[in-house]
Amino acid sequence: MGAVLYHGEPNGASLTVLAALAESGLDIPCVRIDLLAGARHNLTGIAEPIALDLGIEGEGPVLVIGGEAMTESVFLAQYFDELAGGCGLQPADPYAHWDMLMWCRQITERLSPAAALLGNLASSQQGIAAIPADDFAALTASVVSDDLRARWQALHDDAIDAAQVADSHAKVDQAAARCEGKLADGREWLMGEFSIADLVTYGWLAGMEPIRPQAFVAAPLTCAWLARVAARPCVVSALALANCAEPLRSWAPGPEINRWG
Amino acid sequence: MTEVTLYHWEPNANSGKPMLALMEKGVPFASHYIDMLQFDQHKPEYLAINPQGTIPAMTHQGPLGTRVLTESTAIMEYVNAAFPGPDLMPADAQDRWRVRWWMKFMDQWLGPSFSMIGWSVFVGPMVRKRDPEELAAAIDRIPLPERRIAWRKAINGDFSASEMAESRRRVALGIARLEEELGKRDYVGSASYSLADINIFNSTYSLPLSQPDLASKDKTPNIMRWLKRVYERDAVKRTWAMGKTDLAARYSLVMEGIV
Ligand SMILES: N[C@@H](CCC(=O)N[C@@H](CS)C(=O)NCC(=O)O)C(=O)O
Repeated sequence: MGAVLYHGEPNGASLTVLAALAESGLDIPCVRIDLLAGARHNLTGIAEPIALDLGIEGEGPVLVIGGEAMTESVFLAQYFDELAGGCGLQPADPYAHWDMLMWCRQITERLSPAAALLGNLASSQQGIAAIPADDFAALTASVVSDDLRARWQALHDDAIDAAQVADSHAKVDQAAARCEGKLADGREWLMGEFSIADLVTYGWLAGMEPIRPQAFVAAPLTCAWLARVAARPCVVSALALANCAEPLRSWAPGPEINRWG
Repeated sequence: MTEVTLYHWEPNANSGKPMLALMEKGVPFASHYIDMLQFDQHKPEYLAINPQGTIPAMTHQGPLGTRVLTESTAIMEYVNAAFPGPDLMPADAQDRWRVRWWMKFMDQWLGPSFSMIGWSVFVGPMVRKRDPEELAAAIDRIPLPERRIAWRKAINGDFSASEMAESRRRVALGIARLEEELGKRDYVGSASYSLADINIFNSTYSLPLSQPDLASKDKTPNIMRWLKRVYERDAVKRTWAMGKTDLAARYSLVMEGIV
C-alpha cells in the first residue's frame, strides 16, 4: 500500500506537487527520476496505469498508491490537501474555490503548454537531440500516449514551427499580465489567501523570467509575488530537492497546445 | 424567487452538465435557453454574462450579490459544494482524485475530439444552408479566436483529414479505456454516482447511435450497462424533458433499446 511520489527536478508540474506535499506535512517518500531519460515510462509495480499513460500534463510527477498511478499536478495538490484534512491550500467558500479552479485551469490549459514548449527549446532540446538513436527509439517506444510521443519527436527533430513559438510567447505574456491584474488591488497571494493557484502559477511562470523577460517588464507586482512565493517554506523545501544548480531551467515535454479553444 | 439562473442549450455536452447537477441536487433554477445554432451565445446580452461567448453560464444571487460562473465542470463543482442535497463527489480522497482525472480527460483530451466530429457531421451542415453574408457576420462576432476558426471550418467543411483522423483515434481510444474503467467500478472513478458520471454521460449517451462501430452491446457492454443505469435516473429524465429540439427524444429511444 506504501505511497511513492516520483518526480522530476522541481520545476513546472513537479514543483507544484512537491511544494503541495511539503505544505500538507504528509509523510510520503519522494523519488527523483530522470524525466529526460524516459524514466517516467519505465516505472514498475503499476497495476492501474491509465493516468500515467494518458495524462494530459505530459512529463509530470506520478504518485503511486496501491498500484494506481495518479497524475495531474492540480489534482495531486488537491489530493494532498484533502488527505491531510485540509492544509489550507484550497479555499473553503465554494465561490472562492470555483475561482481558484478556473484560475488553475487557465494556467494549466494556456500557460503550461506554452511554458513547456519554450522551456524545452531553451534547455532540453539539445540534450534530447543528442540521445543516441537506439536509446531514443527505446525511449519513445515506452511512451504509451501517441500525442506525448509526438511532442518528444518534434523536439528531437526540431520540428517546431515559428507560429507555435510566437503563440507561446503571447501566452506567457498574457499569463504575466493576468497575474498583474489579479495582484493590482495589493493582495499578497493570487486568490487572496495562499493556495494551489500560487503554486501552479509559480511552477510554470517562474522559469519564464530568463526565457521571456519581456513578459515581466511591465509586471512589477508579479515579480514581487514570484519572490514571495519563492520564499514560502514549502517552495523552499521543494526547490531544495533539486539535483542541479538551476532547477527552474529544467524542462521535459509538457502538455499539448489546446486543439479546440 | 429563484436564485439560480442557468444559461444553456440542449441537455447535451457542456450545457447538460450543470443542468443535470442542479437536478440531482434538487436546486430550483430559472432556465434561459441559448440557441447555439442561432449564435445566441455571441449576442451582446449573453456576452454581458460570459464574455467568452461559450455556454453554459450560471448566475447565483446571494446575500453578497450576484455571482457569475462559467466552465461547465467547475460550475458543477460549485453546485455540489454550495447547495444541500446528495453529495456528488465521493468521500475518499483517492476516489475524488480519480473523479477529477476523468473529468479532465473528457474536458481537455477526449471532448474536443467528440466536438470536432460532432461539428463536422451535425453542427456544420445544420448551419451551412444559411445566407453566407449573415454567417460571415455571425462568425466575426465570435470573441474567442480559436472558436472563430472552428466555426469557419465547421461551416465550410474544412477540418483537415489529419485532424479528423486524430479525433477519431482519440474517440476510439477513449471509448476503449472507458469500457475498461467501467469494468472495474460501477461508476466512473468510484463506486458511487458522481460528477464524473454526469460529465461523461453528457458526451457519451449518443455513442450507440453516432459510433455504432465502437460502442454497442457487443463491443462495450460495460458502457452500455452504465449508460442505461444513468439514463434511468429521475434527474436525467427531467433534464432531458427540457430539450427543445428532438435531440433528447431521439436518444431516449436509443436508451430504451440498448440493454
Ligand atoms: N470549457 C467550456 C466550453 C464551453 C463550450 O464550448 N460550449 C459549447 C457548447 S457545448 C459552445 O458554447 N459552443 C458554441 C460556440 O463556441 O460558439 C465549458 O466546459 O463550459
